Amino acid sequence: MGNRGYLRTQEIFAMALIIISIKLTDSTPSLLAQKGQNGFWLIPILSFALILPGFLLMIYLLKKYENKNLIELFESILGQWFGKLIGFILFLFAFFAMTLDSRNYVEQIKLLYFPETPSDLIFIIFFGIVFFGAKKGIEVIGFTSWISFFVLNFFTFLIIVLIWGDIVVERIYPIFGSGLDHLLNQGYQKAAMFSEIFFFLIAYQAAKQTEMFRKGIVIAFTYGFFLIILFYFIYVSVFDYNSIQKLAFPFHDITQYVNFGSFFTNIETIFMIFWLIAAYLKFMILLYAAGWIFGTIFNIQNFDPVLLPLAFLVVTIGLMPFNSIMNELVLRETLFMIMSPFFIFLPFLLWGIALMKGDLRK
Amino acid sequence: MARFIAEREKHNQQEQTVHTSLQPNLEEIKKLFSYGVNKDFSIRTFNLFSNQKKACLCYYSSIVNGKTINEHIMEPLLQNKGESISNIVSIENIEKVNSFSDIIENINSGKAILFIDQSETAYAMDVADFQHRYISKSENESVIKGPQDAFTESLNSNISLIRKQLHNHQLINEGIQLGERSKNEVNILYIKDIVNDDILNQVKNKLNQIKVDNVRNIEILEQYIEDRPYSIIPSVLYTEKPDKATSYLEDGFIVLLMETSSACLIVPVTFWSFFHSPEDRYLRFFYGNFSRSIRLICFLLTTLISATYVAVSNFHSEMIPPDLLLAITASRERVPFPLIVEVLMMEVAFELIREAGVRIPNPLGPTIGIVGALILGQAAVEANIISPIIVIVAAVSGLSSFAIADINMNFTVRLMRFIFILSAGMFGMLSLTGAFILFFMYAASLKSYGVPFFSPMSPHFLSSKDTVFRKSVKKELFRPDYLKPKDLQKKQKKG
Repeated sequence: MGNRGYLRTQEIFAMALIIISIKLTDSTPSLLAQKGQNGFWLIPILSFALILPGFLLMIYLLKKYENKNLIELFESILGQWFGKLIGFILFLFAFFAMTLDSRNYVEQIKLLYFPETPSDLIFIIFFGIVFFGAKKGIEVIGFTSWISFFVLNFFTFLIIVLIWGDIVVERIYPIFGSGLDHLLNQGYQKAAMFSEIFFFLIAYQAAKQTEMFRKGIVIAFTYGFFLIILFYFIYVSVFDYNSIQKLAFPFHDITQYVNFGSFFTNIETIFMIFWLIAAYLKFMILLYAAGWIFGTIFNIQNFDPVLLPLAFLVVTIGLMPFNSIMNELVLRETLFMIMSPFFIFLPFLLWGIALMKGDLRK
Repeated sequence: MARFIAEREKHNQQEQTVHTSLQPNLEEIKKLFSYGVNKDFSIRTFNLFSNQKKACLCYYSSIVNGKTINEHIMEPLLQNKGESISNIVSIENIEKVNSFSDIIENINSGKAILFIDQSETAYAMDVADFQHRYISKSENESVIKGPQDAFTESLNSNISLIRKQLHNHQLINEGIQLGERSKNEVNILYIKDIVNDDILNQVKNKLNQIKVDNVRNIEILEQYIEDRPYSIIPSVLYTEKPDKATSYLEDGFIVLLMETSSACLIVPVTFWSFFHSPEDRYLRFFYGNFSRSIRLICFLLTTLISATYVAVSNFHSEMIPPDLLLAITASRERVPFPLIVEVLMMEVAFELIREAGVRIPNPLGPTIGIVGALILGQAAVEANIISPIIVIVAAVSGLSSFAIADINMNFTVRLMRFIFILSAGMFGMLSLTGAFILFFMYAASLKSYGVPFFSPMSPHFLSSKDTVFRKSVKKELFRPDYLKPKDLQKKQKKG
């Protein structure tokens, strides 16, 4: 599909980085802060530590089974039907993660910039643009991600520089917040905050050489993880735990908080532009990946036409939850709790079966 | 049926060969070129000095050089002895022709045809002298530092301008005849040991597939060979500067020239070929890159400043510092229109001035300045039709558009400006960012002869990394790999 071997390490890196690191701008930090309090910035470390072995194992398996993408890998390890079933579960996860996340993003846009506009309208416009972008194919998304990477990165670090003066490091104490056991528990439950990286594995064959894909995604995963930790640390040391629990979108609060000299005091719209670019790209990648997973499961060679019904379903189902609190605190949290064990243990299961079947000795 | 007969007659006529005796040949020629009705068609009959045979010379007097005919054809034929015609006449280029179809083509391209009694061959002698403008300064792509000459409407002069800069025997100038009724020649220039054969063949195939009566000039040809005729983004580069064409030739691009145009076409293109100006390379490293960065800012300003103004003042007014916000509100207090209408009015007014400025006869030129500046600017503000800030915004956006020298890209940017303004009017930054990213992705998805639009930046290719900024001239080691040239490495001494 649109794969003429133009994608290289940097494009894969940029795409993977966008879908991972954008987690630092949505409501995930306040979700974590509900139970983790001051220590919530440590939760991703545990989640990362839990997800990383499985993720590396998946990369290893993909490397061993050459010329296969994620779903084809499932099929050749678990057998056709069981593989397709697991693939379909993965598709459902991708779909619902995308749906709930996009509602979350739409609520952010509505709350911060268009309080008068109905969510439906913003949702349709947002996903309309995502759909047309996704239609251009993985390569074009890759080019766009890489070219915008420099700009996005520049503005990310600009925020850090601007907020630097307001950081009070002492606010991270007590270091474990509400207690180490809470943190560990949350770290396990919210491990699925990195689930997007698994959905992106479907694009394994997209790069010019699979080695480029492996390199790009691993670097992006690590770099994205450090960015998340850095920003969560900034949130906790700027807002302290009491306010962060009540702030829905700490990233946007930071952009509203910072100013550029005494004349330009409200510069959040500038950051909003680049955040929007990243958000559009994230959902383009996710929509395309979901379509790709769906296409591979049902043997649809040209899955482009699947994208429109998918986008339509995302909008209709995304609008179903009654309000954003429900969406956020109940549905998204539940999804995280279901997905986390799946992504932590599935790679080991696959690896074990592959090992028993003797496929890995080749 | 009628069409069939007409075709058959045409067919017969083309197949007809030259007769042995002079008289039927003359009859045929007179019939073919409507001698007598056609004022500038000349036939000159005389006796050869060498063998006293009758001969006759036919040509269009308007497209040949009379002096050359006299000195190098008539005088030798009437005075000199010699065994064959080519030993008698002293013309540079002489060719034997046998069929009338060849004769027609030769006469049309400015050659004189010599018929001799009792001979089955005619001689085509090149005495063409098409009138053309002399080489003048480049007017539409002016530079301060760098060669000033521009192409003119003459193929020979144009090729001479290129060969003057590129002393390379591998520089090939290949001709392809185009057009069914009027045969015009398109010349393909490339460097044989650099150019990629696939791309070259694609270009040739495209040219050969053109089946029309007449391709008059390069501007029409451009629309026949482009990949996407309905795309808002151009896919062929058009330039009137020989030095620009030469620098592209050296990198492995292909240049197309025609007799009738004072410009050339360059294929394939990337975004950077529209963005760069030859002067960037003539200026020293820092100066060149400075002018590039200014141009990048102009690019963004001209496409986005009006749209951003609409988005910010309609939807995100909180980001404007309070003093400025008060100033804007105060100036808009007495203006009845919504902001977006104001912006659109001013942008259209600017486009009006621009279009009228191009078409206006020279003596009336100064009028446009008065009308544009006074009526559209000052008077409109005083009449409270638009606010003064809009004048500034439209002026900045219009002024910046002149920094994009390429005429095709200029139109792209000017058209996109209106789309962005409309999208900004809908949902502020949300829809503006969306429109921009979709436009960007559309551009990224384009390919010109297989070359992605934003290469070598993304997708990455080995090259001299001449994208937004350029490296120092000494560090440019590679030709762009996205063209897959036969010789990637520029021969340069190390160190």
